[in-house]
Amino acid sequence: MSGVSRLQYTTESRLIRVMCSGRVDLAFVFRAFLKGTDGVFIGGCRLNECNYDTHGNYHALNMVLLAKRIMEHIGLSPERLRVEFMSSGDGIRFAEVMSEFGRKVKELGPLGQGEGLDEGILKSKLAEITRLIPYIKMAKKEKLGSRLSNPERYADLFTRDEIDRLLREVTSYYIDPAKCQACMLCARRCPAEAIISVKNQIHVIDQEKCIKCGTCFEVCPDRFGAVKEISGVTVPPPIPEGERTVVRKK
Amino acid sequence: MANGQFPEALIQQLSQKFRDHHFGDVMVVGGGVSGIQASLDLASSGFKVYLVDKAPSIGGHMAQLDKTFPTNECSM
Amino acid sequence: MEGEAGDFQITLIKKPKYIDEDQCTGCTACVEYCPVKYPDPFNQEISQNKAIHIYFAQAIPLVTYIDDSCLYLKEKKCGICEGICKNHAIDFNQRAEKIEVKVGAVILAPGLEPYDPGLRHDYGYGQFANVVTSLDYERLMCATGPYQGEILRASDRKHPHKIAWIQCVGSRQVIPGGNSYCSGVCCTYAQKQVILTKEHDAEAECTIFHNDIRSYNKDFERFYQRTESLPGVRFIRSYVSIGREIPASKNVTIRYSTPDDGVKEEEFGLVVLSVGLNPPADYTALADKFGIELNAHGFCQTNPVDPMEATRPGIFVSGAFRGPTDIPESVFSASAAGSECGELLNYRRGKLTQARIYPPEKDVAQEEPRIGVFVCHCGANIGRIVDVPATVEYALSLPHVAYAQEQLFSCATNSAKEISDMTREKGLNRVVIAACSPRTLEPLFRDTLREAGINQYYLDMANIREHNSWVHSKEREESTRKAQDLIRMSVARARHLEPLQEFDLPVNKAGLVVGGGLAGMTAALSLANQGHEVYLVEKESDLGGMARRLHSTLEGLDVQQYLIDVVGKIYRHPLVHVYTEAAILETGGYVGNFATKVKSRGRVMEIKHGATLLATGAEEYRPTEYLYGEDERVVTNLELEEQIAGRDERLVGARSLVMIQCVGCRNAERNYCSRVCCSHSIKNALNLKALNPQMDIYILFRDMRTYGYYEDYYREAAGKEVRFIRYEPTDPPEVEPAVGEEGLGVLRVTVTDPILGKRLEIDADVVALAAAVIPSAGSQEAARLFKVNSNPDGFFKEAHVKLRPVDFVADGIYLCGMAHYPKFITETLSQAYAAAGRALTLLSHDTVVASGSVCEVNERKCIGCGACISACSYGAIEFRETRQGKKAVVNPVICKGDGLCNAKCPTGAISLKHHTDEEILSQIDAAVQP
Repeated sequence: MSGVSRLQYTTESRLIRVMCSGRVDLAFVFRAFLKGTDGVFIGGCRLNECNYDTHGNYHALNMVLLAKRIMEHIGLSPERLRVEFMSSGDGIRFAEVMSEFGRKVKELGPLGQGEGLDEGILKSKLAEITRLIPYIKMAKKEKLGSRLSNPERYADLFTRDEIDRLLREVTSYYIDPAKCQACMLCARRCPAEAIISVKNQIHVIDQEKCIKCGTCFEVCPDRFGAVKEISGVTVPPPIPEGERTVVRKK
Repeated sequence: MANGQFPEALIQQLSQKFRDHHFGDVMVVGGGVSGIQASLDLASSGFKVYLVDKAPSIGGHMAQLDKTFPTNECSM
Repeated sequence: MEGEAGDFQITLIKKPKYIDEDQCTGCTACVEYCPVKYPDPFNQEISQNKAIHIYFAQAIPLVTYIDDSCLYLKEKKCGICEGICKNHAIDFNQRAEKIEVKVGAVILAPGLEPYDPGLRHDYGYGQFANVVTSLDYERLMCATGPYQGEILRASDRKHPHKIAWIQCVGSRQVIPGGNSYCSGVCCTYAQKQVILTKEHDAEAECTIFHNDIRSYNKDFERFYQRTESLPGVRFIRSYVSIGREIPASKNVTIRYSTPDDGVKEEEFGLVVLSVGLNPPADYTALADKFGIELNAHGFCQTNPVDPMEATRPGIFVSGAFRGPTDIPESVFSASAAGSECGELLNYRRGKLTQARIYPPEKDVAQEEPRIGVFVCHCGANIGRIVDVPATVEYALSLPHVAYAQEQLFSCATNSAKEISDMTREKGLNRVVIAACSPRTLEPLFRDTLREAGINQYYLDMANIREHNSWVHSKEREESTRKAQDLIRMSVARARHLEPLQEFDLPVNKAGLVVGGGLAGMTAALSLANQGHEVYLVEKESDLGGMARRLHSTLEGLDVQQYLIDVVGKIYRHPLVHVYTEAAILETGGYVGNFATKVKSRGRVMEIKHGATLLATGAEEYRPTEYLYGEDERVVTNLELEEQIAGRDERLVGARSLVMIQCVGCRNAERNYCSRVCCSHSIKNALNLKALNPQMDIYILFRDMRTYGYYEDYYREAAGKEVRFIRYEPTDPPEVEPAVGEEGLGVLRVTVTDPILGKRLEIDADVVALAAAVIPSAGSQEAARLFKVNSNPDGFFKEAHVKLRPVDFVADGIYLCGMAHYPKFITETLSQAYAAAGRALTLLSHDTVVASGSVCEVNERKCIGCGACISACSYGAIEFRETRQGKKAVVNPVICKGDGLCNAKCPTGAISLKHHTDEEILSQIDAAVQP
């Protein structure tokens, strides 16, 4: 309606169409920041007026609340991210919100600079978050799917402490070379194809590719118990390629 | 003689006559929410529908409403 | 109109718009330059519009028209618009056109006319500036209204702070110029206006003056409570009159009275008259033209058991012309009229429709992307702001862009042809159109791509009008830069677009109807009369449901006789297969292809069907209140009706009878109004008065909700000295056995009369309870089996309260009757025809088309976490066991393409086609200038 009614607002916006605000992935938000976008706005239908049956806008709200905490964690102002719910008839409101958000983002200054962050460090932090998104989604699956009816509770859905802890104590997976029997089960099941596996060679997890879903941990046969869940300590370096031949247990 | 039997002119004359006459299955008088729904249902179930309204646009009185109860959704 | 059912000939006069609709693109440049202003009828003449204008912002067709106020039409002067219009769409030579149409049937849906309070001068409308009608107020509140959504007073263009609503203006009034019926919608629309007013201005003080609050429909009770609980909102039960206008402030006074304070006069900043619904303006002429009869109120005369039929065969009626009607009923009566037309014209179904033929689709999936960019000027709409030629140049510099050009109007027929021609000529395999919102024109341009012989999903639209030139009309440079950015994003996305197939699924032509009451039987017959096999499943041994306990209606229908007729038709119809004493064991499948196992009289069979109709009815609440079940003189309304029909001696001889309304509903446990009980009690009271005029009848009520024409019977009952006593829910009546005046045993009913302000004692021989209508056990069972939703009260939840009132969210499943909500027989029948009509939109086709933009799972990446499954409330995703563990799998027929599951998936295994991560991320990346 803003368009049809010719309501003027900031020229700084670039709109991307999604069929439901719930389609907006946590990864999209951080990709935009990684690319240097100064602010991200997500617009959805009014709460309880879902165009579909899924009430995806509540999911979008949860995602935004989570993303804001992550932004705080890496030192970005959470005000660079905003979600609003309105109907197609709310043209006036949309125009107002766009202009207001535009002003806010200008006030905050260019991404990172406004917060006094070093560009290189910010980039590497954003890249790290992007890598952790599957892990974050899994850890917060329940809360991301909840339906908050009371706006006063928005702030408590995710607490600063909770997210700091989540990102401080990231779980990693490591294959114990002494126990791996090179059965290839974990490699076949790894959704990220992050396990280097050769027949009769001890398997190694490529930590860069690993999305920390824990599938390998779950499928490694109990009698081997080779996959270890590690949290809070550095992952041991991978065993050198020349030393990977399996010594079969007798 | 084109087409074996009928002169081209006669065929054209006949088809012109058909064009002047509008043939349909159902005429729906009134393009408010009820007329629109009736037209859509009939057209979706295999009928040719003429929808007529006295205003320059369909929509009727519902288009004039701001919101509708009890959900307070936009009536557009 | 001439002719008869099956062969009508109708002559229409098409009024000239003075616009060539094929040429007008709705750009509104002409409106800007038009010098003539006149009161805008769409905005209730509160604001002005130009002589040439679009009827309203979302009008269809979205083209301008020229009003009689045009200078050229009046005096052959001006003609500015002709010069402005680049598409030469203005045509002052247009004349009224006579069109002859031959059709087999007619549906009359001429709607309603709001009551005009100016005619009687008793509410100050038209005299006092700050008295408006409720429809005026709708426009005032609306963002597209006269003041862009600011609620302003006509006298001083200021926000009113204290607003009053006066209910029943033109309704429930037996006076010349008034209507005796209740319009049925005003109580609830006034509540809506109060809520919206409070959203506009949280401090506003809102007062509703009413006679009864008639919020009798689904979810209305909660809506009423929500309104009542807002701060600064008062509901005052009182007759009112308009006092005077205060000269200085232009405020208006209202006189009213309350039992506590007596008569008062209070000042308000704005008075809203809740006007009722009248028949359409030209109703007598309309009736004459179509040769149909009207009822005493000027609405269309209809048949209570065939509520869409006008008095002339072949003419049907839907919507508010049948009598005061709300939106859901307007919609389902339309579907119902559609089904009745279908029964009449089934022999010619599909004969006049044509299928489009497209050239064969070229497989370009293996080719390098060759993108064509078409930038639209939209007349001056885009071209005046955005530097289009420079933008075309820019587009050519983008990777993979093989061709770019500008167009005056991309949507014009010749331009669309140009797009398909250039696509073929230049060997393009992706097309980006930089123009307006895809909401309107994406279907057109998809069609253009099909004409060009490439897959329709190879299209992307960059919206450089609504998102750009219209909203940045003062910033030409910025706007040009933004247009280029948006095109760059579209081009980036277009690279990744994939060809998608919309697939056809075969449709099983049979229908399954669950529930053999009046709703189910009527729907089954309507389907069968249109040539479809129907399986009717009923849990009892006899058909008829709730109607078996009803004997008469207020309109005078003999329900039992009617039921015998319908049951006879069901059993005689060769296409209807009845299963009684039946239970549904399991059901599965999807739209067009369901399979249901039914056990009936010991046999189990599998029924294959394309559509499912749930008509599982409702039950009467068994009261625990008022000595029911302890004293046999206390009966429910249905039991009373049976006793009346059986001429029960003790009942007919009773000297005094008390009816108590709202038993078991409108309370904390059942927070809804059962809708039918007020009129049901009136019916029983009138029938009893006919049998024994001496009987004293008392009706103890909270609000008498005799909406629509039932109001006339309420008045009749009052005229026959049925006594109505209102009670407050906080102080309900009490019933106890006692010894009466002549030493006879009576039931003593004690109630506080709020008008007299004292306790009354009534000795009754019989007490009848208006027991709530409650959802049936069968509905709960059906909801579980068919995976459909119910509302908090246990009634089926339709897909959309107003726009899809008989559909479920799940495709191919429909609902009707009391399982949806309590309703009268006539209403049930309309809804049953409607459910059949909606089912026909599916069953009349050989195939259903499923969208190409649905989700798909990459099993390699799926870790079986189930996040997608719990997010998809459509139930489109399920687990499947594989050798690599359980994996999610999408049923593309059920998927609606919202893509919520994509955002839930931690590994990116599930992907919504046409909106993939890759496509959206490429747009995000391209948003920032490289």
